[in-house]
Amino acid sequence: MLNTLKDIVRKSSIHVCLINCGGCNGCDVEVVALLSPRYDLEQYGIYVHNNPREADVILITGAVTEQWIKKIKRIYAKAPEPKVVACIGNCPLSGDVFNQEGGNVHAPVSDFIPVDAEISGCPPRPSEILEAILAVAPGAIAARGREKE
Amino acid sequence: MILPIGPIHPGLKEPLRLKLKTQGERVIDAEIDYGYVHRGIERIMEGKTWQKCIYLAERICGICSYEHTQTFAEVIEKISDVRAPVRAQLLRVITNELDRIQSHFLANSTYFKALEHETLFMYMLSLREHAMDAIEMLTGNRVNMGWNVIGGVRMDAKPAHLDQILQKLDMIEKDLDRYIEIFEQGPLTGLRSKDVGKMTRDQALKGRAVGPIGRASGLKHDLREEHHTYKDYLEFKPIWRKEGDNFARTMNRFNEIPQSVDLVRQAIRNLPEGDIRTQVDIGSGYAEWRNEAPRGEVTYMAETNGNLIKHISIRTPSIMNIESCAKYMLKDVATVSDAVATYASADPCIACAERVAIIDIEKGESSKDIFNLK
Amino acid sequence: MSSVIWYLYEFARKTWVEGFADAKSKPDIAEKPERFRDFPEVVKELCIGCGACTLSCPSPHAIKLVREEDSEESEGLVYPVINNRACIRCGFCAEVCPTEPKALRCGENHLIREEFNIIPSKRQYLVDDFLCIKCKKCMKSCPVDAIEEIDNKIHVNQSKCIVCGDCLEACPVKGAMKGVFIDNLEDQKAVIRLVVNTLEKFIESKEEELQELPLNKLLKLELPLSEIWDKAIAILPDEEIAFEIMENATDRLKINIITWDDSKCTQCRLCVDECPTGAISYNKENNTVKRDSDKCLRCSNCYQTCPFCVVRYFVAKFLLEEVDGEWKILITLKESQLVNS
Repeated sequence: MLNTLKDIVRKSSIHVCLINCGGCNGCDVEVVALLSPRYDLEQYGIYVHNNPREADVILITGAVTEQWIKKIKRIYAKAPEPKVVACIGNCPLSGDVFNQEGGNVHAPVSDFIPVDAEISGCPPRPSEILEAILAVAPGAIAARGREKE
Repeated sequence: MILPIGPIHPGLKEPLRLKLKTQGERVIDAEIDYGYVHRGIERIMEGKTWQKCIYLAERICGICSYEHTQTFAEVIEKISDVRAPVRAQLLRVITNELDRIQSHFLANSTYFKALEHETLFMYMLSLREHAMDAIEMLTGNRVNMGWNVIGGVRMDAKPAHLDQILQKLDMIEKDLDRYIEIFEQGPLTGLRSKDVGKMTRDQALKGRAVGPIGRASGLKHDLREEHHTYKDYLEFKPIWRKEGDNFARTMNRFNEIPQSVDLVRQAIRNLPEGDIRTQVDIGSGYAEWRNEAPRGEVTYMAETNGNLIKHISIRTPSIMNIESCAKYMLKDVATVSDAVATYASADPCIACAERVAIIDIEKGESSKDIFNLK
Repeated sequence: MSSVIWYLYEFARKTWVEGFADAKSKPDIAEKPERFRDFPEVVKELCIGCGACTLSCPSPHAIKLVREEDSEESEGLVYPVINNRACIRCGFCAEVCPTEPKALRCGENHLIREEFNIIPSKRQYLVDDFLCIKCKKCMKSCPVDAIEEIDNKIHVNQSKCIVCGDCLEACPVKGAMKGVFIDNLEDQKAVIRLVVNTLEKFIESKEEELQELPLNKLLKLELPLSEIWDKAIAILPDEEIAFEIMENATDRLKINIITWDDSKCTQCRLCVDECPTGAISYNKENNTVKRDSDKCLRCSNCYQTCPFCVVRYFVAKFLLEEVDGEWKILITLKESQLVNS
């Protein structure tokens, strides 16, 4: 009974922290577009706060530059359990066009922190991001919450 | 006391550390730390063909990605001594101005978010979606369009596309005046924006502020005036203001939106029939090209050897704007929340700003000497 | 309390309930526009395995060509596989795909064939008209008909060429079809110079062995490639280009070597007058004849004049080959066949 109640609460209010660890900004812009009245992320109970200390979902964009290697681990440690990490765009998944000779990136991000969901595209459309987050995040958070107890 | 903000902070969308020196609530001075999104794009570009570099240039900045590809294409066209066909030039203007519209909406929405005016924030984003729709319909992608090539554009615009663009522009114009009025006449927004974060003309000159930030401080300088397409086929006059505060910067961007809408209409009206692409044999040599991005002046300095890029150096507007923001605007601001709003009004784009500077310590040469720039 | 009743009354209205039940996303949110470039689709059967898409892709990990295992009846198909985690959806692979109809599809307009889709490549294929025997094997092997015959000369049309290299394999004459690296020509020359100079010095250091070599016998020497490799890479950082340049250079190279045995010399000074560059000089005070190897052209005039076998003349040929997992330059030295009694 208590667990079902917890599940419902966890599913219906998801706080998101967006971390740009060295991308071109395009994916961040698409996440901002998700806040617009047309896509309206908040109607699904998802709030973008950019505060890792109250985040349930950490959205990662960008191809992990030199400065972020330590910081990304610290931010992950600071987010409270249960937490889910989702990668937006190709940069955190494979390094995209930056991951070649001369580039100064340390992709993929899964080398540093565990990743639960992947959304590919450069950048993905807002509707694709929305679909993927809704398909993964609520269930994953509820499941993660039950695991930890 | 020193108050650090960032790199991850509820107030900022992009990673950057802002150190505010405060006395009580009053902000006296500010300092900025960069380096969080440096990827070394110029170094990757060296020794690659233009077909690969143009997609790298696009990914310098996601918000004004179009202007980067256009400037890159035009610098290579200058080296090879060709010019795109007139239809391609005007199609470039259409996309460029649509990109400027969406960028200005985004910049203003960020400012209103910093002011905690959620209503205008939402209004701006919903209007921005119209511009994004038009861009996606024409080019096939919303942010990184992949539409420019050396010698023209990749796809032709059909009459149906142009009609739909005009419809979207009508939808933007219908609501825009009302929203401008809400900001201009609103007593509280005025109170929080007027005379906050002031930068005089001399300071703007010293800080090398460009784009709407410079124009709001009385620097009457817009590179579109000197661009050959705007000169030959379109009527254009730069918009500028004298106040130099947050209000002026936001209003300047607001006023440039109808102007961009008008430019798109002019371009569609003057659009001739013809080719959209010419064949280009890449020449060898050095050239420099400047263009007006939504945030100001973008400069590309490139050297090619007939097929590959030998050296490239890119100068983006954000670095000057952020520096002048830290040096002049964030002096003696009444509250910390005003300081964040001032920072947002300077329209910072960190992904742009992280460029390469080559300094040879042993020889004491900077990138200026290495590239033989005058 | 009254407000609660008002809310209950308001939300129980039929239109509101119906509207709530029928709520749907607007079409402009869910639908993608006509021109939207999604991840490229691959039609396996149409692919000719030319590799134009992998060459042109700006993202380094996005496209890979794979080959299926051969079954009993047929050969396995070759086709590109798109990695969605790295693809940037630019559609450039679909634009350069040379098959008809296209094996890679991405967005509406990329099905149009542009006449100037030049595939970015370091290499350019050229026909050497002097060596070409007009057998037209390259024309038959070309998958996109880029090789044409104009005025009885074979010519590669650069705007059609997809840089697959099939013509190079088909060509029966070594050197008639060339895959030339078009950039950094100066660096390529420097590498060739480096190879020649190192080899010459290496052979000259073995002069004693040469002088003891009997007539009609071969002297075989080996020089590990690693001695030159680091220097060559410093000049020309691309390993692929550097290796090919060195391979070509050693294949065709022929070095003439002159050895000089002072002990046999009788100071007859016949050679001094013969030498075209004045490299051989006679010193009156010491009564010696000296050869200046820097001035010497290796023309073998002295070798043909000398009646006392002071001068010996060798020809060196080279081959770059892998021996026991190490690349080595094999050197074969042979006394020249010019008759000298």
